[in-house]
Amino acid sequence: MKIGAYLTGSFGQSQELYKARNEWKRGRGSEEKVNEQAKKDAQQIIKLQKEAGLDFIIDPMFHFYYLFQPFSENVAGVSVGPQENWFNNNVFYWRPRIEGPLEIQTGFTKKYLHTEELLKNGSAMAILPSPYSLLVLSDVKGYKSKEEAVTNLGEILLAEAQNLVSKGYRRVQYDEPAIAVKQSLGALTKEDLHLLRRGIGICGKVNGATTSLNTYFGNAGQIISHLLQLPIDCIGIDGTETSINDIIKHNFSGKELTLGFLDARNTSLENPQDILESLKLVENKTNPVKLWLTPNAGTEYRGFTHGIKKLELLAKVKEMYNE
Amino acid sequence: MNKLFPTYEVGSLPKLNARVNATNGKRISQKDLDEVKYLSEKFSVDANKALSIFDKNAKHKEVLTNENIEDLTDFNALLYLRLQEGLGLDFVYDGEARRREMYQHVAAKIEGFEKTPEMIRSRGPDSWRMAVCVDEPKLKQNSLDDLILNEFEFVKDNARENIKIPMDDPYMIAVMSDNRHYLEKLRDKHFNNPRKLRYEAKREFTLALARNIIRPQVKAVVDAGARWIQLDIPAATLDIEHIPIVVDGVNEVVREIDGVKFSLHMCYPRRVTLTDKNSYELLFPAILNLNKNVDHLSLELANADNYEKDLAVFAKYADQRKFEIGVGVVDITLEKQQRQEIETQEMVKDRILRAVETLNDEKLIYVAPDCGLRQLSLDRCMKLYEVIAEGAELARRG
Repeated sequence: MKIGAYLTGSFGQSQELYKARNEWKRGRGSEEKVNEQAKKDAQQIIKLQKEAGLDFIIDPMFHFYYLFQPFSENVAGVSVGPQENWFNNNVFYWRPRIEGPLEIQTGFTKKYLHTEELLKNGSAMAILPSPYSLLVLSDVKGYKSKEEAVTNLGEILLAEAQNLVSKGYRRVQYDEPAIAVKQSLGALTKEDLHLLRRGIGICGKVNGATTSLNTYFGNAGQIISHLLQLPIDCIGIDGTETSINDIIKHNFSGKELTLGFLDARNTSLENPQDILESLKLVENKTNPVKLWLTPNAGTEYRGFTHGIKKLELLAKVKEMYNE
Repeated sequence: MNKLFPTYEVGSLPKLNARVNATNGKRISQKDLDEVKYLSEKFSVDANKALSIFDKNAKHKEVLTNENIEDLTDFNALLYLRLQEGLGLDFVYDGEARRREMYQHVAAKIEGFEKTPEMIRSRGPDSWRMAVCVDEPKLKQNSLDDLILNEFEFVKDNARENIKIPMDDPYMIAVMSDNRHYLEKLRDKHFNNPRKLRYEAKREFTLALARNIIRPQVKAVVDAGARWIQLDIPAATLDIEHIPIVVDGVNEVVREIDGVKFSLHMCYPRRVTLTDKNSYELLFPAILNLNKNVDHLSLELANADNYEKDLAVFAKYADQRKFEIGVGVVDITLEKQQRQEIETQEMVKDRILRAVETLNDEKLIYVAPDCGLRQLSLDRCMKLYEVIAEGAELARRG
């Protein structure tokens, strides 16, 4: 089997983008200059993905700071809440304040993405929050139950996914860090799995595109059997948190499998041979429809240069595997 | 100290604008000069030398010599000591006037660290210059003077009140750095257990920082006469599964150093954790294993303003371990400054008494801001110190 490869999240900022943001923050620069630099950097990263032969091309997310920002800032009924740590990273997000039920609305990601540029350069992948993570990481009011809330969020996300696919995106990735982190912390309940299933049950299938549920920052080993039952085309697993022994216990037939074996949160460059061997083992044992190699998360945590190094390693391992 | 509710600063103050601009070869405004004149008069600090240097820069556009820069730094440090004393704080330091910022001040002095090419984004547009650990971290030769000793000697020579020295904690440096060296060192050993690899790599890194970087500084200032050292760990609860490493790191720093008071400053604990524990509850039970010399915790509490809930866990474990608590009574966030809101003395008094009620032991309570004040205007910092001192006095009267 030939493997594929792609990036899974926001890319590290360049020093020029930092400078533009810093000047703006201090009242000396302008938002226009930030946007100009962000656009220039985004074009570079999109081009690099294409040149590296990656199978899906993503927007590097330079026009926003955290996963939920487009949702919080543009969906009617949602506002920006208090600041929190983004899991165990020295990085922050702002909790969405959701006053539900929300009306179905689309286009909330539009101004943040370089859609035209992405479509020119390959098979574009959109990244949206998973309804479960969005639910548990937000302050939610106005619903009779969590199930009703996650259903509503699933509907909104499906509408946006479908909208993006109508513009030309061919893959939709739902980011799902919370379920794996809860599992790692020993706090996962049946209700959590039910809510995950309910949300993905709504938005997991998108006409005209394949879909992926990307878990990260936590050990998914103990919940793979649950993930396999979800109506989604691909399961993403964080290989820097989940033991390969826990992955190869499962049969992924009928599903695609994405392995985040490159550590986006460390500058150490993995040995390509070690990754090759792990990939071969997984392929032989798990029987997926398709196997993908990725970093475990966005490479924003170590900056632009180290992000590019990981991107190059990703392309190199893919090439070695497929030779 | 016999006095109830002693007050202290936590760490940093914003550097004087005039000093920053002069040092960077930028124009000093009349407003900046007026600020220097006003503060030096208010707190009785001789500003003649500093003003002549500012004048040299402003009128003659001369480049400052290293000696000029050192004189300005000394002036800034002395002014902040007098400012804290004058506004009624019981334990003082120099507002970290000699430190670039908390992380880089130390990271720049570490062999085995390399800077990332870019600033790493953390909070909205805010970013920091991360260091990559590529070898066992060791202090660069002769760096103790610049790192801590000159600073402490100056404060010791000039302070009229008691001194508390803020220093970086090893875990904080570990969290803000890239741990390439230890991850690579242990990768083969824990190949099939990535979570164990991450934990052990961070533990080894933290312990090396404790042993080689922080402990030598602590020993140096203790030998020079320090009596209270505060280790700063804003990120103590960042990784819930790694909190035992926080404790191991601190214990390695303070091991067998007796006759000195050690405290930990922690702020902005994880309040959304996806578990049934949050905030300072997350520290327990690991924190019970802290070395007995660490008997004081300085906590951010005003921002959340949930004193009863945040402090309940300390009351719950009081039969096993009692900590003095430096109660954060004023919110130091930029957002609050932007809204032009500020606590009153009565609010501070009320917060102190709420802490007393929860902890049920008034002798355990010290009074402080939530964190260092570096990002605020100096004018606001002074107002906050005033309400802290006056609020504590009101609380003493009951």
